[in-house]
Amino acid sequence: DDGAERKRKRKSRWGDEQKVIMPGLPTSVSKLSKEQSEKYLLQIRLEELSRKLRIGDFTPTERTRSPSPEPVYNADGKRINTREARIKKKLEDERHRLMELAIKTIPNFRPPTDYKRPTKTQE
Amino acid sequence: PVASAKEDEATRVLQLMNMVTPEELEDDDEYQDIWDDIAEECSKFGKIIDMKIPRPNKAEAVPGCGLIFVRYETKDQTLEALRALAGRKFADRTVVATFMDEDNYLADNF
Repeated sequence: DDGAERKRKRKSRWGDEQKVIMPGLPTSVSKLSKEQSEKYLLQIRLEELSRKLRIGDFTPTERTRSPSPEPVYNADGKRINTREARIKKKLEDERHRLMELAIKTIPNFRPPTDYKRPTKTQE
Repeated sequence: PVASAKEDEATRVLQLMNMVTPEELEDDDEYQDIWDDIAEECSKFGKIIDMKIPRPNKAEAVPGCGLIFVRYETKDQTLEALRALAGRKFADRTVVATFMDEDNYLADNF
């Protein structure tokens, strides 16, 4: 039922009351220095991205959906640039970028064992 | 390791993190939309005196850009908001919350 005209033009960005639990990464924290908080937020975001990739959560997050590109098909005629594939790629790219940053800036940072640094070669 | 927030550290200013990226704050409409979403939810926990959501600036790096600050009338209200909002989802991100020193907040010393 989408008939109900409401004053509010859109859905709030807030999720439900459900809390996200990330082991070892508290979400209510003591005051951090700027440098500490940058590093901490990097770890939080990396954990979020890793989770999404692990469970295969490729739902669109952008509010204004970007126009779909022309479809690209592989040799078997299967479309390879589906929305899901594009979102997955975006998550992987962000994760890779942040992982490199974390390796550079956080002492003793160890990438998770399921993380493989992407290679340049395709397929 | 990072310590959890303690009750006696409460100030009147709540600092929310990991909710928005600077890119999302560039567009005027989207900025207003984000502001409204946050003001609406945060007002459930107390009376908001004022809020700050620093916006990106092409010319220079803006301190606190990507962070959100909400000043309440009392420390108890800030504490309640922190407890309720930390760990909640905002868009696809997880809210991380802490307390902000009020003098630093007033001086934009983020």
